[in-house]
Amino acid sequence: MFSFIVRRIVSGVVALFVVSSLTFFLLYFSATSVARNILGESATQAQVHQKEIELGLDQPLVGRYLHWLGGVLHGDFGVSWFTSRSVVGSIFDRLPVTLSLVLVTIAIVAIVATLVGVAAAVRRGWIDRLLQIVSIAGSAIPQFVIAIIVVTIFAIKLHWLPATGYVPLGGNPGGWAVSLVLPVVALAISAVASTAQQVRSATINVLSKDYVRTLRSRGLAPREILFRHVLRGAAPAGMTVLSLQFIVMLGGVVVIEQIFALPGMGFLALQSTIQGDMPVLMGVVVYIVLIVVIVNLLVDLAVGWLNPKARVS
Amino acid sequence: MKLRPRVALAAIVTTAALVLTGCSAGGSDGSTNTGKTATGGTLTIGTLVDVKSFDPAQSHIGHYLQFDQPVYDSLLRRKPDGTLIPMLAKKWSYNADKTVLTLNLRDDVTFTDGTKLDADAVKVNLDRFRTGNGPDASTLAQIESVDAKDATTVVITLKAPDPALLDYLGNADGFIASPKAIDGGKIDTAPVGSGPYTLDASATVAGSTYTFVKNPKYWDPSLQVYDKIVLKPILDTTAMLNALLSGQVNAALLTAKTEAQAKSGGFTEYRYPTDWQGLLIFDRDGKMVPALANVKVRQAINYAIDKKTLLKQVGQGLGTVTNQVFGPTTAAYDKSLDNSYPYDPAKAKKLLAEAGYSDGFSVSMPTVSGFFDPALTAGIGQNLADVGITVNWVNVAGADFISGMVQGKFAMSWFSLFQGSPWVAANQIITPNATYNPFHTTDPKVESMVDTIQKGSEADQAKAAKQLNDYVTAQAWFAPFYRPDQIFFTDKNTTTTPQAQQAIPSIYSYAPKK
Amino acid sequence: MSEPTIKTENAMDADALAGAGVTAEPARPGVLRRLVGNPLGLIALIILAIVVVSGIIGPWVAPFDPNHASLADALKGPGGAHLLGTDSAGRDVFSRLLVGARSTLIAAALAAAVALVVGVPSGLIAGFFGGWFDSIASWCTNVLMSLPAIIILLAASAALGHSVWVSMTIFGVLISTGFFRLTRTSVQAVRSELYVDAARVAGLSNTSIIGKHILFVVRAPLIIQTSMVCGIAISIQATLEFLGLGDVLVPTWGVMLNEGFINIYTSPILAVWPGIAISLTIGAFVVLGNALRDALEDTPKAAKKRAAAGPSRVSLLDDDETRGVALVKSNHLLEVNGLGVGYPQPSGRVKTVVTDVSLHLDRGEVLGIVGESGSGKTQTAFSILGLLPDEAVITGGSIVFDGTPLVSSSGGRLSQGRLAALRGKRIAYIPQEPMSNLDPNFTIGYQLVRPLVKVLGLSKADARARALELLGIVGITNPQRTFDAYPHEVSGGMAQRVLIAGAVSCNPDLLIADEPTTALDVTVQAEVLDLLRDLQDRFTMGVVLVTHNFGVVADLCDRVVVMQNGRLVESGDVRSILRDPRDAYTKTLLGAMLEGKTPMTMLTAGPDPLDDEMRMKASI
Repeated sequence: MFSFIVRRIVSGVVALFVVSSLTFFLLYFSATSVARNILGESATQAQVHQKEIELGLDQPLVGRYLHWLGGVLHGDFGVSWFTSRSVVGSIFDRLPVTLSLVLVTIAIVAIVATLVGVAAAVRRGWIDRLLQIVSIAGSAIPQFVIAIIVVTIFAIKLHWLPATGYVPLGGNPGGWAVSLVLPVVALAISAVASTAQQVRSATINVLSKDYVRTLRSRGLAPREILFRHVLRGAAPAGMTVLSLQFIVMLGGVVVIEQIFALPGMGFLALQSTIQGDMPVLMGVVVYIVLIVVIVNLLVDLAVGWLNPKARVS
Repeated sequence: MKLRPRVALAAIVTTAALVLTGCSAGGSDGSTNTGKTATGGTLTIGTLVDVKSFDPAQSHIGHYLQFDQPVYDSLLRRKPDGTLIPMLAKKWSYNADKTVLTLNLRDDVTFTDGTKLDADAVKVNLDRFRTGNGPDASTLAQIESVDAKDATTVVITLKAPDPALLDYLGNADGFIASPKAIDGGKIDTAPVGSGPYTLDASATVAGSTYTFVKNPKYWDPSLQVYDKIVLKPILDTTAMLNALLSGQVNAALLTAKTEAQAKSGGFTEYRYPTDWQGLLIFDRDGKMVPALANVKVRQAINYAIDKKTLLKQVGQGLGTVTNQVFGPTTAAYDKSLDNSYPYDPAKAKKLLAEAGYSDGFSVSMPTVSGFFDPALTAGIGQNLADVGITVNWVNVAGADFISGMVQGKFAMSWFSLFQGSPWVAANQIITPNATYNPFHTTDPKVESMVDTIQKGSEADQAKAAKQLNDYVTAQAWFAPFYRPDQIFFTDKNTTTTPQAQQAIPSIYSYAPKK
Repeated sequence: MSEPTIKTENAMDADALAGAGVTAEPARPGVLRRLVGNPLGLIALIILAIVVVSGIIGPWVAPFDPNHASLADALKGPGGAHLLGTDSAGRDVFSRLLVGARSTLIAAALAAAVALVVGVPSGLIAGFFGGWFDSIASWCTNVLMSLPAIIILLAASAALGHSVWVSMTIFGVLISTGFFRLTRTSVQAVRSELYVDAARVAGLSNTSIIGKHILFVVRAPLIIQTSMVCGIAISIQATLEFLGLGDVLVPTWGVMLNEGFINIYTSPILAVWPGIAISLTIGAFVVLGNALRDALEDTPKAAKKRAAAGPSRVSLLDDDETRGVALVKSNHLLEVNGLGVGYPQPSGRVKTVVTDVSLHLDRGEVLGIVGESGSGKTQTAFSILGLLPDEAVITGGSIVFDGTPLVSSSGGRLSQGRLAALRGKRIAYIPQEPMSNLDPNFTIGYQLVRPLVKVLGLSKADARARALELLGIVGITNPQRTFDAYPHEVSGGMAQRVLIAGAVSCNPDLLIADEPTTALDVTVQAEVLDLLRDLQDRFTMGVVLVTHNFGVVADLCDRVVVMQNGRLVESGDVRSILRDPRDAYTKTLLGAMLEGKTPMTMLTAGPDPLDDEMRMKASI
C-alpha cells in the first residue's frame, strides 16, 4: 500500500512536470509581441524594448524555463505580465470560487446520480427512460446553451436567483449558497444525467452478480441487499466516474464562470488566454493538473481502501 | 445572449486606448437606490474590465478610471462636458510659449494614511507615471522635468508644448497616491489616496466585488453622494445585461444589441459618442498593397462601403454615419464631412478603373473572433467585393490584433478608435510616428498643420485642426463608417451624466434619483 | 495477493472503461438490421444521413450563395424567398446550414481521424508487445485523461492561434485515449486467447492473425466510439466559438450559433436553427452509438452467452401479495404442477424455457433434476426459489410448498412476498459457483451472521457463535480464521462449504442445490457430496439437487427427473432409471457420464458498468 502511494505520487509529479514543461515551451515560444501587447499601442519602441528586458524575453527560452522551474519549486510562479500581481496570489484568490463551484456540484451529482441511477437500475420503467432521454439531451445540448437557458428562466424571467456574481463563504454562507445555485445547476445537469447512467450500469452489473441472488436466497430484505451489498459493489465504479466528472467540470467552469461572471480559475484561464498572459495561464494549467493529480490519488486510495483484496495486502 | 464582442474588447481595451478620458463634475440630485434620502446608500456599478492594479502609475483612461476615481483625487477634474475645474490643483497656468505649467495645490488635503499632500507628493507621482512603463506613460513623454517649487507649487517643464497635457492631468495621469504608501510597495493592491472613498478590503473579492466606503475626512463632501460604492467587474456583456436586469447592479455599460432589452425593462438610457469605427488604411505608400498608394483607390473604398446599412444592421442604428475621424466635441469637426463619401458602388468602380484597377485587387485584413461582429466582416467583405476588391480575412487572436496592426502587419484594418482632441487624434493616427501609422506615411502639408495644432494659438489650433480634418478626409487616409453611441443604463433609482470623450460616466457623476 | 492489487485494479478500471459496455464483438450482418429495427437508431441514422448528404451536396443545392452578404436584407424572418430567413449579414440561413454541415462534419471528422490515427496503432502495439512501450503509452494516456480538454484548448489557442483545424487536431489527440484503451484491451484479450491456440495454428504468424483478427474485433466498438467523438467534437467547436476562441473563417454551425447568440435579443430565432442542427446531430451521434451497442449486444452469440450465464438480474422489488393465502391440500413438501417459464421477447413473443414440468418432493427425500445446459433444470429450481430474473414470467402451472401456494395457475410472477417469508427460513439454496456467490466486499463471518440476525432474529453474539459452529459442522478446520477471512482469501472448496453452512444455517425444510460440485476439483467434489449427505441426514431436509452428472445422482439421490429442452422426459426412482433408462436422451446422458466427460460450464464476465462515453466526456 505504501509503495503504491509512493508510486502514484511519483507518477503524478512526473506528469505534472511533463505537462507543465510542454505547456511552457508551447506558450512562451509563441509569446513574441507580448511586450507591446502589455504596454498598449501607444508605447514607444524603447519602452517595448525595456519591457522585453524586464520580462526576460531577450533571454534564451531554455534559460527562462529553468528560471521559471526554479521559481515554481519554491512556490513562486512569477507575476502576471498584465497586472503585475503574483500568479500564486491571483490563483489563490480564485481557487475558492472554482472549488466551491466544483465541489458543491460534485457532491450534488454524487447524491442525485446515485439515487436516480439506482432507481433506474432497480425500477426500470419510466424513470429509466427519462434518464436515457435526459442524458442524451444533456450530451446533445452544449453546456453553455443549458447555462444560458437556466439564467434566462430563473434569473431574468422569474427573478428567483442572482444572474451573476460570487459571494465568499466566510461571513455570508446564505449569500454564498444563493450565488452558487444557478451555476451549480447549469454545471450539474448533464453531469447528473451521464453519471446516473454510469451508476445505473454499475448497479445493474452488481445486481447481475451471483452473490446477490444467493443473498436473496438467504432471506435478506431487498433494501438491505441494495444498500449494503449492491451500493458497496458499485461504489468503486461510481467513484471512478465521479473523478472523471471532476476533470470534466474543471474544464466546464471556463464556460460557466464566464456566463455567471464568477471570478474563478476558469475565468482566469480564459482571460489570460485572451490577453496572452502566459505566466498566469501556466499557473492555471499547473494548478489544475495538480488538483487533478491529487483528486485522482485520493480516489485511487478510496477505491483501494474499498477493495478488501488491496486493503488486506 | 452572449455577446462576445465586448468581452474580447475588454481584453483589448487593456492594451489599447479605445476610449478616453475621465474627469469630474459631481452631479447630484436624488434619492438613493435603496429609496432612502438624498444621500447615502450603496451604488453598484457593473464594470466591463477588472482592475489590473491600483498603482496610479499603471492607471489607464476609459473604463479603468472607475477604479481609481473613488480612492484617488486627480490634479484637475473634468466636468461631464469636458471643462476642467480644480481638484487637487486650485489653479494652473502656462507660460507664454506653453512649455512651463505651474500648478498651485490645495493645502488642506491629507491622504488616508495621514500623510499630507504637497508638491513633493505630486512630483513623486508624476515622475513614477512617466517613467513607470504604465499603459499611458507615453502621454507624459513631453515632460522634461517636474519640480516642487514650494509645498504647494509644482512646476512642470515641457520639451515642447502639449495641448492635451491638462486633459491628461484631469485623467489617468493626474491621480496622486500617498508617497508613503508607494514606498510601502503594496500600492497596487492596497491603494492609499486622498479620494472620497477608501477600498474596504474586507468586503472586496478580487475579480468580483470591489467595495469602497466613504472617506470620513474627505475635503469635499459634495463628492460623497453614496455611503458605499461597489464595483463589480462583469466582462461578458450578456452577463452584464443579466446583472442589470436582475437588479444586481444599478448602472452598466451595454451594447447596441442589448439596448432594446434594457430599454424595455424600464431602465434609463444614456447615449453618447466616444469612438469612430471604420477602416484604417495604413499602407498609404503602397508598400504592401500598391493600389492603396493611389488616392482614387482609397476614395473608392470609401464610396464602396454602405455605411448607413452597416450602422443600421451592426450598430442597430445607434450612432451617426460619418466620413471623418474627428469627433463632434472637437475643434476639428466639420459636419459637412459626415457625408463626403456617400455609398456609391458605381462611382467606386469608376474611380478604381481610373486608377488602373478595373480588375480590382486583393488585400488581407485581420478579423478577431469575439471582437468583430460577423455581420460587420461579411458586410465589409461584400461591399468591397462588389466593387472588385477581394478581402482575404486573417483570423488573429485578440491579444495580437492591435500589436499586429501597429507593427505594420496589415495594409488596412477595421477598428474602433477613440475620438480625442485634435492633438490626441493626430498623435494616435496621423503624425508619422503616430501609433496607428505603422508605415509612417506622411505629407508636408499634414506636418505643418500638426505643428500648428501643437504650438499655435488656440484660434490657430482650431483652424489647423479643421484643415487637417478636411485634408485627410479628402485624401481618404481612412474610411470611417460611423460614430457608434455608447449605450449606458442606470436603474430607476439612479441617475448619472455621461462624460465627454469617456466610455463611461465618472464616479462623481452618479446620484440617487429623486 | 502479495503484490498490492490496487494498481492493477486501477489499471483494470481504466481499461474496463475503454472496453466498457462495448463488448469486443465483431460486427455481423444482423447488426445493421437490428440497428435499423431500433426506432431511435433508425431516426439517428436518418438524421446523420441527411447531415452527411447536405454536407456533400450542400454547396450545389443551396438556394443562395451562402456567403453572399446583403446587409439590407439582414435578419429577415423565415418564409418568403429565404426558407429560414437571413442572418445578421443578410445571408441565407438555410444555405449556410447546408454548407455549414460540411465544415462542421469535416472538423469533427478531423478530430476523430486524429484520435483514431493516434489511438489505434499505439493501442495495437501496446497491447501486443506490452513491455516498455505499453507502460509509457499507458502512462501518457493516464496523463492525457487527467487534463481538462477545455483548459488545454485554451492554452493551445493562446499559443497557436484560433484555427478550428488546430483545435480539432489537439482535441483528437486528447480524446485518442479512448481508442488507445479500447484497442489495447481488445488486443490483450485476443492475444491471450490466441496463445492458447497458438500451437494448433501452425504456419501463421501471430502478427498477421492479430492484425486481421483484432481489426475485425474492434471494428464495431471503434465505430461506436468514433460516433461519440464526432458528437463531442461538434460541441467543442461551438463552445470555443462561444468563448471567443473560435475560427470565424470556417463557417461551422458553431460559428452560426455564436452569431445567433450575438443577435439573441434582436433576432432570437437565428440561434435556433444552428442550435437545432447541432443538438440533433450530436444527439444522433450519441443515439447511434448507443443503438449500435444495443444491436451488438443482441447478436445471437451475445444472447447465447447471456442465456448460458443464467438469470441476468434478480428483482429487488417486493410484491406484497402475502394476504389471504389459502392453504392448499398437498401431501408433499413440495409439489410442482405443469410449471411453465418463459421470457417475453421484444417482438412480443414469449420464449418458453420450461414447459409443463411436474415434480414432487417429500421431507427427507433427495430429488435429482438432471439435464444438459439449457435443459431448463436451473430455471425450474429458480422458480421454486422465486429467484428467476425480472424479465421471466411463469406461463403456467403451480408450485405448492408445504401447503402454501407460491404460484397459481393464473400465471404471472411469483409471489415474492410469500416466498420472501420462506426463503432463508424454510427454503435454502446452494449455488453452483462458490467464489462468485460470496460478496467479495464483506467477510465470510459477516455474510453468515447477517441473515442469522436479520432473518432468524438471533442476537449478534448468538449468531456469531452459531456461524462458527456451522463452519465447524461443514468441516472447516479453523472456523475462526475462515470467519474473519474475505472470500478471496479462501479456496473454492472452502467457499462452497461456507455457502453450504449459510444455506443450512436456518435448518431448512427444503434445500435447493444447483450443481453444487461442478465448479470444484474432483477430490473436493467427493468431500462436498459427503457433507451434503451428512447434512441431509442431520437436518432431514428435502433436497432438490440440480445436476448434469448422473454420478452425483447415483451417489446422493432417491429419485430423479430428467429434463431436455425445458421438458421433463423421464422420472422415477434412481435405481430403476440408472438400470433401465427408457428415454433415448437419458441413455445419451448416461453414456456421456460413462465416458467421463463433463460439459463445459460457461463462465461469463458481465459487461463492465463504465461506459466509453463517460471516458470521452472525461477528456473534455
